[in-house]
Amino acid sequence: MRRYETMVIVDPDVREGDRLPLIEKLTGLIPQKGGLLVVRDEWGSKKLAYPIGKRTRGYYLRLDYCGQGDLVDELERFCRIDDRVMKYMTVQIEKEVDLEKIQEQILAAQQAAAPAAETKSETANAAPEAAAISPDTTAATGGAPTAATEEER
Amino acid sequence: MAFDRPPKKGGFRKKRVFHRRKVCRFCADQSLSIDYKDSKTLGHFITERGKIIPRRISGTCAWHQRSLTLAIKRARTIALLPFVGTMD
Repeated sequence: MRRYETMVIVDPDVREGDRLPLIEKLTGLIPQKGGLLVVRDEWGSKKLAYPIGKRTRGYYLRLDYCGQGDLVDELERFCRIDDRVMKYMTVQIEKEVDLEKIQEQILAAQQAAAPAAETKSETANAAPEAAAISPDTTAATGGAPTAATEEER
Repeated sequence: MAFDRPPKKGGFRKKRVFHRRKVCRFCADQSLSIDYKDSKTLGHFITERGKIIPRRISGTCAWHQRSLTLAIKRARTIALLPFVGTMD
């Protein structure tokens, strides 16, 4: 199993009602091919550095997952066919991955996110919950070393 | 020509250029990581035209410049950084 990260730029003019099924379809492909979704991160509509297909904005979606090469093939094939997807890119993060460790990390992130989500709002859909996991995981990995160096100074 | 060179003033040439010691930003601060998604940090290492700044100018070490280059190229692919910048 390898760990990959796919960035997808979706057409921002597509209405949310159309976009959500597309994103669900993309994430649904991962377990179908025996993969494991780690983080689903939606950046929202962002300005592009250069126009793609005469559009200057794009809706960014980041999928962090574990899987085999055929899963990547399938995801990319889907992105090529669907014309709501403007651009995509897949990057390999880790060559060899320990699934149990990843699952533990996901559970820990969910537990950390759960109390915060309860206090914030009760409208806990599947989508915001998945998005809420990502900042916590990035804070856990990236936040700790910065705090350590600040103390040294 | 060599024989009618004007006499030099002073004892020896004082043509030393002042060099500021450049340090690799990523070596100095270990907490900084190079990531293609972090377009703000990568933006410091490209010119206004969008070209990658060579390490002889930015002072980045060879090890970090390699990963920096890769990150900038990935960011360009996904439209986080421009291939060609505009000159305003």
